[in-house]
Amino acid sequence: MNEGGGRGDGGARDDFFSEAQELVDGLGRDLLMLDEMLKKGHVEPEIINDVFRGVHTLKGLSGLFGATRMAGLSHQLEDVLDELRLGRIDVDAGVLDLLFRAVSLYARILSSEKGEAEDPVHDVEQLLLALGQVSNRRAGEGVGAVAQYELDPGLLGVLTEYEEHRLRANIQQGFALYRIRALFSLATIDTALDAVKANARPHGEIITYLPTGSGGDADSIELEILMASKASLGVLSKAIQTGGVSVEEVQRRAPSHSIHATGLPSPPSDASGTAPSISLHPAHPREAPSLRGGPSSAPAPISDVPGLVASNVPSPATGAKSTRPGSGEMSLRSVSQTVRVDIRKLDRLMTIVGELAIVKTAIAKLTDRARSRFVETREFATELGRLNRSFERHLAQMQNGILEVRMVPLGQAFDKLARIVRQISREHSKEVNLVVTGAETEIDKLIVEELSDPLMHMIRNAIDHGIEARDERLRVGKPVVGTIALNAFQKGNHVVIEVEDDGSGMDPKALTAAAIRRGVVTSDEAKELSQREVFALVFMPGFTTKEVATDLSGRGVGLDIVRTNIAKLGGVVDIMSDVGIGTKMTITLPITLAIINVLLVEIGGNPFAIPLASIEEAIVLDESALRTIELREVLSVRGVSLPVCRLDRLFGFASAEHRRGRSFVVIAQVGDRRMGLIVDELVGQQDIVIKPLGRSLARVRGFAGATELGDQRVALVLDAAALIEEVLIPGETRFFGAADAGRS
Amino acid sequence: MPTLAKVRAAKRAAMRAGEAGMRTEYIAFGLAGETYAVPIGQLAEILRPPPITEVPRAPRAVIGVVSVRGRLVTVVDLRVRIRLPPASMDRRSRILLVDNGTEHVGFLVDDVQQVWRLAPEEIEASSVLGGDQAAHVAGIGRPAGAENNVLILIDLRPLAESA
Repeated sequence: MNEGGGRGDGGARDDFFSEAQELVDGLGRDLLMLDEMLKKGHVEPEIINDVFRGVHTLKGLSGLFGATRMAGLSHQLEDVLDELRLGRIDVDAGVLDLLFRAVSLYARILSSEKGEAEDPVHDVEQLLLALGQVSNRRAGEGVGAVAQYELDPGLLGVLTEYEEHRLRANIQQGFALYRIRALFSLATIDTALDAVKANARPHGEIITYLPTGSGGDADSIELEILMASKASLGVLSKAIQTGGVSVEEVQRRAPSHSIHATGLPSPPSDASGTAPSISLHPAHPREAPSLRGGPSSAPAPISDVPGLVASNVPSPATGAKSTRPGSGEMSLRSVSQTVRVDIRKLDRLMTIVGELAIVKTAIAKLTDRARSRFVETREFATELGRLNRSFERHLAQMQNGILEVRMVPLGQAFDKLARIVRQISREHSKEVNLVVTGAETEIDKLIVEELSDPLMHMIRNAIDHGIEARDERLRVGKPVVGTIALNAFQKGNHVVIEVEDDGSGMDPKALTAAAIRRGVVTSDEAKELSQREVFALVFMPGFTTKEVATDLSGRGVGLDIVRTNIAKLGGVVDIMSDVGIGTKMTITLPITLAIINVLLVEIGGNPFAIPLASIEEAIVLDESALRTIELREVLSVRGVSLPVCRLDRLFGFASAEHRRGRSFVVIAQVGDRRMGLIVDELVGQQDIVIKPLGRSLARVRGFAGATELGDQRVALVLDAAALIEEVLIPGETRFFGAADAGRS
Repeated sequence: MPTLAKVRAAKRAAMRAGEAGMRTEYIAFGLAGETYAVPIGQLAEILRPPPITEVPRAPRAVIGVVSVRGRLVTVVDLRVRIRLPPASMDRRSRILLVDNGTEHVGFLVDDVQQVWRLAPEEIEASSVLGGDQAAHVAGIGRPAGAENNVLILIDLRPLAESA
């Protein structure tokens, strides 16, 4: 990760940013999980360990790169987390708030290290102060419940402070203690022990294990494993009792009884703690052991057995988590541009490159033969054609492979949103539950980055405008806790993301009234708006129904930015809403930006490309099926009305009326809007690399970019979404027409 | 490409000029019967016009887009851009490529003529033409010893900023 560590050269610093960003991101995710557990009153110890390890790794990393503010913050956090881990202080919402604050501060520090934001000195100092106060706050004294059990003082003597805390916590939860004795061959102890651990893990928590010092010989060793479990002896025995393994329950101390274990002080060879000193520190037992597996969509890293985590070993697993972080309070975009790539994807690319090299060699040979002039032309051409096909095939694979490398799961953006939901709902005292589905849906890395902020705006909007206040929800008989659903799924070549709330919904009447009040539309215009157009009003710049702006939204900025940003990515936003039931916003996006499959068409003698992703089908235009409804041409296709647009007219090409021969209708669909684009000729399909038009053409509407055709010509790529909006929602031209009038 | 050879020759000339003194190299080109000239340093390349793809609904001065070795270039009719009557392209037409920092913009001109090396005393301020000359007119070139040649020195960069 850091070959160039500390030397400040660009590459190493980039590594630092991407690594730190991922760690910060992982922290955020772990804290959310912790928050979730806290709400359920059931905190799993491993999650605190994860957070601790993350912070610890971050501390090391920032120290290495001289990011002192970050290192300082990490150090203080580490102290607090250590106290939490050892049960010396309680995990509560207050502490958690501080930890969340730390995560957003990390993001800001990262931005400032990059020179993109100001150094948040003041905020860091405040947080350090607050953290300092927390670590001085010790939890109340617990009871020495451990003494009630028939445990060998020798064994108790070698427990680490952490193990001891876990032991007490489990006893306090009323779990039974079991002693597992297992004989392991020294040759296979690693795998065999793992197997026992794996069997035991579903039933409870392994506190520690030690060699018994008896029962073994030169080739084997007997271990005593101390475990706490809810399960009965019978269940547990069934789960783990195999050859050489025995399970017994540790009895509560009634009459004095001697114990078998001798508790040799020699520790097992792995990371299990062996701090030799230990008197019993009382602690609060409030955490129950069980497997991790929170509701989060993030892949839970395989965690080690909690009792075996040595306190100062940074876990590589923490560093390897792949997610992008939230940076800053204003933007969720990450500071890192790095994409982590599955090695298998690279392997595939490598293979293809190898095959391309073979093709290259063949071409070189063929060239030599051509030079010798003894080759027959026809044979030569055949050979060359074969090579060309092979080359094309591999190149296509290569392109696909590289596209795949660019793909990342949407979860990277969703994780950050979960943090925002928590923050906003707490600030706003509205209880909101975020339900995420489809976080694994993959989309181009660039799109994920650009999506974070629009999604944040939409969610803020849903919490502020959508979800009702608690009293109101009770009054209308809704659950007190509001729900925001974030659903993602792939639909053809598009990814659909829905943000749905079960709030109050939007009242079309109130929307139009507000729009008229704000001068967005006149009352005459308002009468003609369809329901969809009414909902689309919320995307107008400056639109708000709130009389008073709040922190969250209502300033009239936000949703128009959402639509603009989504449009830049070639996507569209739709809104559906029912009063009293909720609002659903749907974003439809292309999966990738780089290489797209298009249908080449000709309009007025010029080539144009229409992305296949937005094409439903192409049919021959049947002029007799055309009708005019309110000055709009509509085509009947299999009994369904389809609005059409004559592109030659829209684009102002001459001789539109007098073309001989038939025309074609390309039926475009984006989101759930459809429109027929009338073109002169269908040329064929092609994969193209789309390039943006220059700045001087940025304001020309209807084109997503341009691409070079094989014959040196350039074809413009139609932006189906923009065309559909332009033609189907005349409100657009009505509202913005004046601004554009002077341009064409 | 002969025009490229001209550019190269001009660059060589520029180096010689650097040894000789404070001369600036200009490329002269024709536009509606007048001779204009632009500092050689502003040009990235001079092209024969490839097939140009029209962009519907683009600003009037924009002829269209072309691809120059994989890079998309917006081509602007310089005549229209500086409010001269438009003309159709012929075999003498050339495109002057200017890099404005974010993109390449091409300016269509009637023809490319020659390189002039002008000393400061051979350049008159544009104010001799009157008070409000457009921002792109940088001055008037009057090469010594070639009194019949009057060069309108222009700055293409502001014109490349917005078509």
